[in-house]
Amino acid sequence: MSIISRLNLRRLSKYSVMIVLLFLVVLFTLTSPYFLTLRNIQNIIMQNTYFIIVAVGLSFVMMGGGIDLSVGYQMSLVGVVTAMLMVVYHLPVWLAVGAGILLGVVLGMVNGIIVSRIRMFPLIVTLATSVVFQGISYMVSQSRTYRVFPDEFLFLTQGKVLGMPFDIFLTLVIIILVSFIYYQTTFGLRVVALGGNEEASRLAGINIRKMRITLYTICGFFTAIATMIMISKANTTHSSFGPGTEFTALTAAIIGGVSFMGGEGNIPALVAGVFVLAVLGNGMQLAGWGIYPQFIVRGLILLGGVAFDEYQKFARLSRQKTK
Amino acid sequence: MHWAMGHRISKMGSEHIVEMKGICKRFGGVLALKDVNLELRRGEIMGVVGDNGAGKSTLMKILSGAYQADEGEIYIDGQKVHIRNPQDAFNLGISMIYQDLALFNNLDVAMNIFLGREISRGPFDLLLDKKRMYKKVEELIKELRVNISSARLNVAPMSGGQRQTVACARAIAFESKILIMDEPTAALGVTEAGKLLSMIRNMRDSGLSILIITQRIPDVLSIADRVFVLKGGQKQDVLDVGKVALDDVVTMIIKGKDRNGTQAKSIEYKSFG
Repeated sequence: MSIISRLNLRRLSKYSVMIVLLFLVVLFTLTSPYFLTLRNIQNIIMQNTYFIIVAVGLSFVMMGGGIDLSVGYQMSLVGVVTAMLMVVYHLPVWLAVGAGILLGVVLGMVNGIIVSRIRMFPLIVTLATSVVFQGISYMVSQSRTYRVFPDEFLFLTQGKVLGMPFDIFLTLVIIILVSFIYYQTTFGLRVVALGGNEEASRLAGINIRKMRITLYTICGFFTAIATMIMISKANTTHSSFGPGTEFTALTAAIIGGVSFMGGEGNIPALVAGVFVLAVLGNGMQLAGWGIYPQFIVRGLILLGGVAFDEYQKFARLSRQKTK
Repeated sequence: MHWAMGHRISKMGSEHIVEMKGICKRFGGVLALKDVNLELRRGEIMGVVGDNGAGKSTLMKILSGAYQADEGEIYIDGQKVHIRNPQDAFNLGISMIYQDLALFNNLDVAMNIFLGREISRGPFDLLLDKKRMYKKVEELIKELRVNISSARLNVAPMSGGQRQTVACARAIAFESKILIMDEPTAALGVTEAGKLLSMIRNMRDSGLSILIITQRIPDVLSIADRVFVLKGGQKQDVLDVGKVALDDVVTMIIKGKDRNGTQAKSIEYKSFG
């Protein structure tokens, strides 16, 4: 393979998701007069802040070569527990939110401990824990719906900071902070290295087990923060709120170039990945193509993303062999 | 008596940088190493040879902390040490370069060299000091006079020789005293192997003590000072490279020290490949 085509491939993989996003925006602008309006764009952004935060959290696990399918039910459980603490037990908002985030951290840590201790496939471990979290969530909530949260809690999505909604501000801070962690810190480098070659990381003296637990814990932390945004936005919650998020976060991460095998990815592309899915759903609805076909398209996009990831791996390997 | 032993060891410490004594290692029911003693002199290259399954890699992995011995003692510079993991070995100045090289294909040369020992800055040393790491690696590349054009190159598309160089550079950057190399020339062409061997010689001349595991006996004879022969997990002998020929080493590998089957040696070398 010549140098030029290799460069193109690398650049393509890095920016392909941006190109897809641009394509979708152009497509839906042409098909619906309501798509490219300030109000609709604001809507799209505000409806997706919590997806971005979950995807960012998940990126830690995925960059390190793992996967977490349980984030949806983590949100379900964290959501009902936080809501109950506020609505049923009338705890101060800061305490309820603190307890909810702590719960998220614990759930993430549980995943991490199981994955690193038993050394099973994280796909199966987190599928199993997600069902456990689901059971706990419904047992705790008795399948009740909780609504009308305190005003301080609604500030999360209705309050404004620097002229923008608080959740958008928070999401921006998280994006910048996490990008910084990946590119500038020792920890970020080690996460990427762990995903690239676990055995080499171990031989370099890195405590793999501790790293894995930390990554799942970080994922739980961000998932819990996203949960707060989600239930604040809805001003209600139920145990069925949250599940499904894992699909969006996972798909966004993969089409955003976070490798399914770990070690690759960048945050701006991941955010673009979330918006590809969001624009697709929104645009298809506005264009009058119905709600349900978007699920088919989402599934196909995930398949396409994984296939592209595999193709890149294969292309890289064959490059190495021909050298 | 303990005192006397300690005294003797500290005197010997000046000559031997590594001493492994009575090393035993079991994998399940299999005894991989039986009471092996190894002494590495300061500033020498010692080849560690033996047939497949002789225990070469196991013995070296014990020294590098990847495995732990079931029995036996290790002395570095005459001091008794306990090597429980690669980090312990590293802190004692021991670096091992693995056959599969243990490089990160998703990282560049500099990050490969520094991973696990990053130069950091900022509060609590949380931040990477990329500038200093790149500068140090650029200097190192120049110093080693090797065929790598930049510290920012990704290692994935590199040739076997370049990857070996990166792995060596890692050991040198951390000022290791003892370098263990597992089959360094196995995947290399003739020219690349030659370059690597001369680099290894330079490293010895700059003061490193080097152990090389290899099946390629001619390579080891061309640069090593001594050859340590293992067979069936037992030490056979240590041969002085200046005093032996290729056939002697091969015979020792195949037959062990007890039988000097000189007649069969040429045939067996062919099959040895």
